[in-house]
Amino acid sequence: MARRSKGLSAVRQYRLLLGKDLRQEFRTLDLLSSMLIYAVLVIIVYGASLATGAADADIAPLSGGLLWALIVFTSLLGLNRSFAHEREQGALEGILLAPLDRGAVYLAKATSNLLFMLVTEVIAVPLYFFFMASGVTASTVGWLALVLLVGTVGMAGIGTMLATITAHTRGRDVLLAVLFIPLIFPLLYACASATTAAIVGGAFWMDTYSLGLMLAGAYDAIMLAVCWWLYDFVIGA
Amino acid sequence: MRWALSDSNSKRRRLPESGQWPDKLMVPAIIAAAVFSTAGFLDAMLRVGPVNGASVNGFALIGGQVVDHVQLLSQKIFYFHMPVAIVSFVLLVFAAYYCVRYLVSRELRFDTCAQVAMEVSLLFVILTMVTGDLWTRFEWGVWWTWDPRLTTYLILMLIIIAYFILRNAVDEPERRATYCSVIGVIAFVDVPICFMITRLIPSSLHPVVTRQGGMTGDMAAALALCLIGMLLVGFVLYRARFAQVRVDQRVQALKDELALFEEEGRAGAGSADVWPFSDAPLAAEPHTQPSGED
Repeated sequence: MARRSKGLSAVRQYRLLLGKDLRQEFRTLDLLSSMLIYAVLVIIVYGASLATGAADADIAPLSGGLLWALIVFTSLLGLNRSFAHEREQGALEGILLAPLDRGAVYLAKATSNLLFMLVTEVIAVPLYFFFMASGVTASTVGWLALVLLVGTVGMAGIGTMLATITAHTRGRDVLLAVLFIPLIFPLLYACASATTAAIVGGAFWMDTYSLGLMLAGAYDAIMLAVCWWLYDFVIGA
Repeated sequence: MRWALSDSNSKRRRLPESGQWPDKLMVPAIIAAAVFSTAGFLDAMLRVGPVNGASVNGFALIGGQVVDHVQLLSQKIFYFHMPVAIVSFVLLVFAAYYCVRYLVSRELRFDTCAQVAMEVSLLFVILTMVTGDLWTRFEWGVWWTWDPRLTTYLILMLIIIAYFILRNAVDEPERRATYCSVIGVIAFVDVPICFMITRLIPSSLHPVVTRQGGMTGDMAAALALCLIGMLLVGFVLYRARFAQVRVDQRVQALKDELALFEEEGRAGAGSADVWPFSDAPLAAEPHTQPSGED
């Protein structure tokens, strides 16, 4: 009671909620294992569909786009599952009953989604380059990691918001995809162009890369602010 | 007394009202829409000359210039394509405005406004797509190209369609209204950014289609006529659809009230069938009722 009246600071609320999600996930590894296997399967599908016609073709100009398609679909899978636990045992109601800052709830959920996506990417992206585009030089790895991070932050932020909405709807899996892909389109466009520029190289690749990265970062900032503002309405509904 | 049951809720649902003042403008608006659209059509087809520098194969003399028939007709698409696209944007602005108003006020009629604006907007988006496709087919020789403007417009269309899929997937009116309003606001923020990003990032494969050269005075006049006509058509469609949805909601609310009223009458007056109907209130307080002694 004494603690309640004093209230938890927003940072502590955030850490508690994030800790809950991470503990829950690392005890079962449900989400991470399914995301990883799914990512590998997408790579296999790429391999099978490209191998027939493009055995000796240069897929470097395509590889940035293909990589982002892989990330989008894998993220969708993770986001769909991210509210499964909350829904099953009425945990979301519990969280809402507790005197928590709604912004902290959003940030904690977005951070846990981000971490799961990043863990998946750390394993799946090297695999992708191993199978599909092994010509990537070591010097571009840092640039690729940067654009991957920026893109994943935005997708986690928007995706968490949309997953909260679709968790309470009929046909939620399909609906999340229907909402998610158009709304992240600008981010996808900017990140894919930056990634392709980094992989393909050329004299002026840095211009395209930095422009794409800058736009992706700006989109992240705007969308995270909008989602943070609107989340209060969504989770209260 | 009659509303005892519904009063026990925090607030009784008001009946959705319908028939506000803009409905009085409907008849003049319909006439004006027909006049302006027809005038714009005739002006664009018969009077206005083609864009300077249009290529010529066959011959026709329109507006003092010689042009071929295919080019001539495909250029006329522009006078409808652009106004329709502008109307779709105007309606989207209104939809976003109503979404914000719903989120602020929590009044369901703003959600209905946003829904109807989105519906009419989707209609105009589809019209824009159809006219645009005709244009790309005849002018550029392909049905579709990943030009920035086309791409962003396609994304816009997909977001609007997603809005309606979301609407259908939620049952409770308040929750549906909130979710849809949030998506409406996000979409409104998203679309200009989308447009900007596809414009800014250079893409060697898909050149930006630039439109050079100004419009002559008579072209602008035809365009303005069509634009006014299309705006009026948009307004008329919006009001007509709004009135329809509103009356539908009103009937539904009345039905609910009636069902509630009947239920109350049955539950509250347990012996209503034997109680003299003459001066007794229809659903009196239970403790004033003689319950079952007779």
